[in-house]
Amino acid sequence: MQVNGAAHELEARADESILAVLRRELGLLSVRETCGIGVCGACTVLLDGEPVSGCLLLAPLAQGCELTTVEGLGGEHPVQRAFADAHAFQCGYCTAGMILTAKRLLEDEARPSEDDVRAAMSGNLCRCGSYVKIVDAVLGAAAERAA
Amino acid sequence: MTDPRVTGSARYAEDLELPGMLHARVVRSLYPHARILGVEGSRVPSSCVVLGPDDVRELGRYGCQIQDQTVLAVDRARFVGDPVAAVAAPTLREADEAALSVDVDYEELPAVYDAVEAAAPGAPLVHDAAVAGGAAAYFAMRPQPGTNVCHRFRIRHGDVEAGFAEADVVVERTYRTAGAQHAHMEPHACVARWDSDLLELWTGTQTPFNVREDLARVFGVAEDRIRLVSPPMGGAFGAKTFVRVEAIAAALARKAGRPVKLVLPRSEEWQTLNRHPATIVVRLGARSDGTLIAKQITCYADTGAYADCGPGVAQKMGFSAPGPYRIPNVSVDAFCVYTNLPPNGAFRGYGQMQSTWASERAMDELADALGIDPLDLRLQNVLREGERYCTGETLHDVRFAECLEAAAEAIGWREGRRGKGLSLVMKGMQTPSRAAIVVEAGDDGGYVLRCATAEMGQGARHAISLLAAELLGVEPESIRFPDPDTSLVPYDTRTTSSRSTYMMGRALVEAVRDLRESGGRRGLGEVRDEGGLDPDTGQGVASTHWHQGAAAAVVDVDTETGLIAVSRLHTSTYAGRVVNRPGAELQTEGSMIMGLGTALFEEVVQLDGQVTNANLSDYPIPAFADIPVQLTHDLLEREGAEIHGLGETALPPVPPAIGNAVASLGIDLADLPMKPEAVLAAIEARQGAVA
Amino acid sequence: MEPEWLEPASLGDALALRAERDDATVVAGGTFVGILVNQGLLAPTAFLSLGRVPDLAFVRADDELRLGAMTTHRAVELSPVVRERWPALAETFGVVASPRVRNRATVGGVLGDADYASDPPAMLAALGARVVARSAGGEREIPAEDLIVGYYETSLGSGELIVEVRVPGGEHRATYRKFRTRSHEDRPCVGVAVCRRPDGLRVVVGAVADRPQYFPELCDPDADPAAVGRAYAEAIDPIADVSGSSDYRRRVIAVEVRRALEALAA
Repeated sequence: MQVNGAAHELEARADESILAVLRRELGLLSVRETCGIGVCGACTVLLDGEPVSGCLLLAPLAQGCELTTVEGLGGEHPVQRAFADAHAFQCGYCTAGMILTAKRLLEDEARPSEDDVRAAMSGNLCRCGSYVKIVDAVLGAAAERAA
Repeated sequence: MTDPRVTGSARYAEDLELPGMLHARVVRSLYPHARILGVEGSRVPSSCVVLGPDDVRELGRYGCQIQDQTVLAVDRARFVGDPVAAVAAPTLREADEAALSVDVDYEELPAVYDAVEAAAPGAPLVHDAAVAGGAAAYFAMRPQPGTNVCHRFRIRHGDVEAGFAEADVVVERTYRTAGAQHAHMEPHACVARWDSDLLELWTGTQTPFNVREDLARVFGVAEDRIRLVSPPMGGAFGAKTFVRVEAIAAALARKAGRPVKLVLPRSEEWQTLNRHPATIVVRLGARSDGTLIAKQITCYADTGAYADCGPGVAQKMGFSAPGPYRIPNVSVDAFCVYTNLPPNGAFRGYGQMQSTWASERAMDELADALGIDPLDLRLQNVLREGERYCTGETLHDVRFAECLEAAAEAIGWREGRRGKGLSLVMKGMQTPSRAAIVVEAGDDGGYVLRCATAEMGQGARHAISLLAAELLGVEPESIRFPDPDTSLVPYDTRTTSSRSTYMMGRALVEAVRDLRESGGRRGLGEVRDEGGLDPDTGQGVASTHWHQGAAAAVVDVDTETGLIAVSRLHTSTYAGRVVNRPGAELQTEGSMIMGLGTALFEEVVQLDGQVTNANLSDYPIPAFADIPVQLTHDLLEREGAEIHGLGETALPPVPPAIGNAVASLGIDLADLPMKPEAVLAAIEARQGAVA
Repeated sequence: MEPEWLEPASLGDALALRAERDDATVVAGGTFVGILVNQGLLAPTAFLSLGRVPDLAFVRADDELRLGAMTTHRAVELSPVVRERWPALAETFGVVASPRVRNRATVGGVLGDADYASDPPAMLAALGARVVARSAGGEREIPAEDLIVGYYETSLGSGELIVEVRVPGGEHRATYRKFRTRSHEDRPCVGVAVCRRPDGLRVVVGAVADRPQYFPELCDPDADPAAVGRAYAEAIDPIADVSGSSDYRRRVIAVEVRRALEALAA
């Protein structure tokens, strides 16, 4: 599979999640486990550009696909900058998942409304409650792109 | 420089890898109360290490306020989930299999699951004998021998019976609040390693020195033979206080002779620490003109099978229950009660969410009985600058009225009250407490701050760094703030109670003064706040300063389904001085959102001692789409004011503001969460009463 | 023992393996299987992945809508032809869980899992859909309302796989109501799917029992919506779980069925 633009051959059991494999084999520690049942989004990875729950993706299902984690965004991606500018995080544990989900949302919807953002991102949980500023960050990234 | 949280390079305790490290799993009691007849590890493969009762029997007891805990349950398990054994293996998969191979024999004992029932004479006893007080008890304990009451706190001020006799109107109600789970995104995690007689732990903890103290007692070593490092946490909200996973990890590491990492699976979080369910009876009396005369409160805090900081929670619940009002006669009895449920401990708001719910709902019930506007009733009785609280302490920097008026204004209270609710919170800050910080000049013109303030998303480190930069006259970027390391930082009480920016900020002033007076290379600053309350009378100093705030809510209720929709939620909190504005806003918003979850749907559900909703689907937490359309806040500041912590203040007033708004529609709810079923039942009850 | 990963490259091979290997857990999108594996509830000796079987993911419409079993929820949600001609179906697939789940979970998977709280099965039943099941021995059509027979249990035979779902076209009005009691991300307490066609009305209530609840005899297209709601509430013996008690569900069934029918009339 391709991970963050580089080709890899990874060893995994058939019943291992891609979350476990990416962390163990490639040290991609931004992919995190909070719930283990696909409801929180902390384990979000992009599979051929689409957000999926890494904790539920059995490793063989990623064969031949392109995976993206936040480490693959380079650090200066507009969405990353928007999150930093809007202070859209507290403990940071959910942030990688939020950024990847927001990135995908903005590819689909260049000028989302506040309601659009909330609805599209509602599957990503943040216990610290940074939701208000995360919405600001996503709207900010959209506005900057439009400018 | 981009923030590691945004680049993916943030590192938490679970990420640490040490050579030769083993992975641990805990084996837990299946029964709420049972004699442990035997623990057999013979089926566990030899590549794994098993920790059983015989390995820990000789170790010391621990417990932050009551030393009622042992590293593993020995002889008796007291809740479903009580650790009875532990294993460590080369991989997590092997650890899971090893844990399943440990055989435990139990003999069931009678159990109790409700604090009021458990406090009554004749209830099955969770612990047989009263045990020694813990080091983090900052007040005298009052266990009631022969009962499940491990602490009781009282306030006696004036004469409540005489007061009620004089009152024109008396309202009385019992309020209940459910338990809740912190649900921090990062699970509990720690890595323990012994280097001959030195124990090192990397653990996500808010309380490094308290943990060190207890571990020293457990292993019978001097405190300086234990080194604790606290990496930033992925959320904590009180769950990562005192010994959680550290003792088991350390005991396994010692037996294995290798480092051990213990990370809890999500479902075990509900078996580790939750929030105290409470039953609070309020009796409140006033004259017909609205003057409060008497208030009597009885609180039962369910502390679960081990006390943890339950006595402190019960005490805080008790001393804040009268609320920020002038009441000449006050009587409070707060009980911390054992049950056979998982331990309950510090949870954002620390007892004050529960008491504020009861107190502020009672105020609105009284207002209704008197026919007085709830805002006016509060303003008439609210404590003002220089007045004394029922603990005998004089209040300074009092802003309750201002907060309340700002919140009422924000929702247009005077334009119409239907669907609107208000509330006030008076929250204490850990008293007594100590804070200390060392400032060291680096060779690059920058400075290093060394203190025990732990980072859990609240931004305290950043705020303290901003203060340091200001005092030292440098850019914030030149301040370094390494993770707390007990071998390198001076003692600090702990990172709880929204105290750190304020207390450490004061210590910083001293440290910078010391640095300047001693040549500019190093300075140490310490501050101590004295105080505390007599547990028998409730007199003394509850808090050297108070966290003050108000909340306002606008709601709609679907009377056919009972669903409550909060269209507007506002808090006005007294910040005194805001240091880190984005952080202050985030903490306030986060507290409000957590309050919303508590108000509308969060509850730990148990059946026969077993938590039945131990996952994030069956126990939902607020999501983006749950946030009220309008969620706003004011942070009130005043020139020259002290920094007031904001980490919790906006949580306690949210549920009663919503409850009072719902009550304005004629739907009277006394229990949290305010479930749709309860709304329908209240509507029916009112129709029944009218008919 | 490490589990095997079986990845047949043709439907024929998949069906043969399905028949031979009753120890193999079928994997479509893998979301439900992933949950069970993570929770330690499932540790099969083999997985039978349908990911490489060609021509199982498609959205085709003529006078009927034909959805391949491996079509994702997201594809149905966003399909222009489904949104135009079967909008309630697109909407129903679109309210399931989160975009992450919808990017993987499939039409065949959600039916095969037979989770009592799933949204699409109720809507498919209301639309009069038929599930196409194939085995090495042939093919048959199962009315959607007959597929799920119990908690996580279908009427599929051991050698059968769902390959397609067919939804009748023609004039109709439909709507889905997902009633949650807790967070917006909660599983539904009550789900109501209604569909009115020239030849009749279907009301299907999900999330309240082991399988979607459909009572053709209670679906009088000329009846007052409140009466239909009350009739459904009386006919169903709802479950109790963390999102609501039986009594509460019963009350909500009456309200939500009425509201769904009122929405159709509007």
